[in-house]
Amino acid sequence: MSNTLIKVEKVSKVYGMDGVEVHALRSLDLDIKKGEFTAIAGPSGSGKTTLLNIMSGLDAPSEGRVMLSGKLISEMKGGELSDFRRDHIGFIFQSYNLIPVLSARENIEYIMLLQGVGENERRTRVSEILNDVGLEGMEDRRPAQLSGGQQQRVAIARAMVSKPDIILADEPTANLDSSTGASLLDIMRELNEKRGMTFLFSTHDSMIMERAKRLVLLKDGSVDSDEERA
Amino acid sequence: MKMLIKLAWRNILRNKRRTFLSGLAVGISMASMMFVDGLFTGMLDSMIRTATDTFLGQGQIHAEGFTDTLEVEKTINGSDKVIKDLAGENIVTLYSPRTASFSMLSSAGGVQSVMLYGIDPATEKDLSMVDESVRIGEYLGQDNKGMILIGSKTAETLEVEVGDRIVVTVAQAHTGELSQEMFRVGGIFHMGIREADSGLAFIHLDRAQTLLGLKGEFHEIALSFVTLEMAGDRSLPFWGKYSVNGNDAIGWKEMVPQLESVIEMSYISTAITLFLVFGIVGLTIMNSLFMSLYERMFEFGVLRAIGTRPLRMAGIILLEALSLSIISMVIGLVIGLGFLKYFSVHGIDYTGIEFAGVTITELIFPVFTMEQYTLYPLLTIIFSLVAALYPALYAARLTPAKAMRRSL
Repeated sequence: MSNTLIKVEKVSKVYGMDGVEVHALRSLDLDIKKGEFTAIAGPSGSGKTTLLNIMSGLDAPSEGRVMLSGKLISEMKGGELSDFRRDHIGFIFQSYNLIPVLSARENIEYIMLLQGVGENERRTRVSEILNDVGLEGMEDRRPAQLSGGQQQRVAIARAMVSKPDIILADEPTANLDSSTGASLLDIMRELNEKRGMTFLFSTHDSMIMERAKRLVLLKDGSVDSDEERA
Repeated sequence: MKMLIKLAWRNILRNKRRTFLSGLAVGISMASMMFVDGLFTGMLDSMIRTATDTFLGQGQIHAEGFTDTLEVEKTINGSDKVIKDLAGENIVTLYSPRTASFSMLSSAGGVQSVMLYGIDPATEKDLSMVDESVRIGEYLGQDNKGMILIGSKTAETLEVEVGDRIVVTVAQAHTGELSQEMFRVGGIFHMGIREADSGLAFIHLDRAQTLLGLKGEFHEIALSFVTLEMAGDRSLPFWGKYSVNGNDAIGWKEMVPQLESVIEMSYISTAITLFLVFGIVGLTIMNSLFMSLYERMFEFGVLRAIGTRPLRMAGIILLEALSLSIISMVIGLVIGLGFLKYFSVHGIDYTGIEFAGVTITELIFPVFTMEQYTLYPLLTIIFSLVAALYPALYAARLTPAKAMRRSL
């Protein structure tokens, strides 16, 4: 129990769309343990994104509860929830979603500024993390001056630099060619293995599914299968 | 904070064309307020100057009730002492004694009723513009006490020219008996003010006193002060000092009360214009911020997702509004300064237009004031920030999931 990082209990999510109720999640239970490298897969509309939104506190469940690092995040609101996400969750998005007017260094630094990390430590951490993701010397470039793969590496660095408990990645390879995607997955897998960083992916990508240590398949808002892999 | 300021400035400069156009719109609004303010100030200055410098003076002393009835008997009490005291006043630069009475001017060609002033040509020359407004003939001199100055309209009515004879009829003080005397037209003046050119006439003070049966007394002392503000400042002890012994000392605000009303009206007009213009400024800023916010909705979702607190989100928008208002302020100052500078040199021609009983006789030159360069830029920033509250609140209330519909 103490090894459980995220505990999803009987979570349901109902959206009202044009007067019609859509059940995105149906009384779903799921545990994510520390150090896992898990992929949540499933067809479109199966509830992957909704589940990640709720697990990260970006959205609230209609029913049920979500615990992350022992805190009931499904009940948190406003500033408390923002602070919790800042300190405990790293995000990697499908379209990189870096702040275009900030350089790679500033994009990575931003979250540490929110955390109140001192300047010297910020510089050290940025240098280390850029080295980890293979972007040394590119810290002053803005996103538009980087390739898609390089931007996603910055996004990984941004997600990791705050030392979160877990990194949630939504289709992180969707906009990358297969070799760049594979290379990024290797970086993430390495970080998982070397630093014990927990990764949770939402994906359609067979490369991610193949590399995942655990594969959760969703169907119609429920867990269809949950498979531990070597 | 440094990062947020950097973020705000870079975001504002992201779409340079939109920022420039918004800044230009707001800047022009600000410049227009600066210009209107300068124009009003210049116009009021000109009207006050026209009203006071032409003939009235910046202040006057009369016997109590004289201005209501213009009774010839109501001369200034203790006039010699008043004159002596005025000579020692630091705030008074000039003073000129006058008689004033209704009179009838008649010539072979016609008859005209006028307000006949007896003036001291020497002191009046410096205090009023009577001498400067003489277009034909000469101003009154010490040696030609039988001359009269009449207005251009009066000359037309009486069909007289310089050198022609005019009979002046007045009612004498105390007895009320009519007194007549013949004068020669020494000069014809044109002040550009209809009432003056058709309703005023001037003779030598000594002759006027004799004609009216006054023994060295006079009805009015016109005053000029070191500054116009002193002439309108009732808190100065001067006014109380000379409003004693049955006399009444008044400044230009009491002499021309309609001008005071015009000033108040101009304040109200400026306030209404200001409200409307800065309302537009606010809406322009709000529109620009919302356009920018909608374009960057996903980005805002990311910022929220990675832990930016709602208040900080609002702060980003407010800093962007501040940045935009600073750009607008600079544009507005450049445009405003340019317009004011140009027109303060070349002036605007409103001559001949009568307003509140005062005819504008000179070019209007907009006036620079410190207020234009502090108040309006400050208001631009305040209105911009107030207008930004709505988009800021909107950004603060954004939920990450809604903002990032496409992803997490």
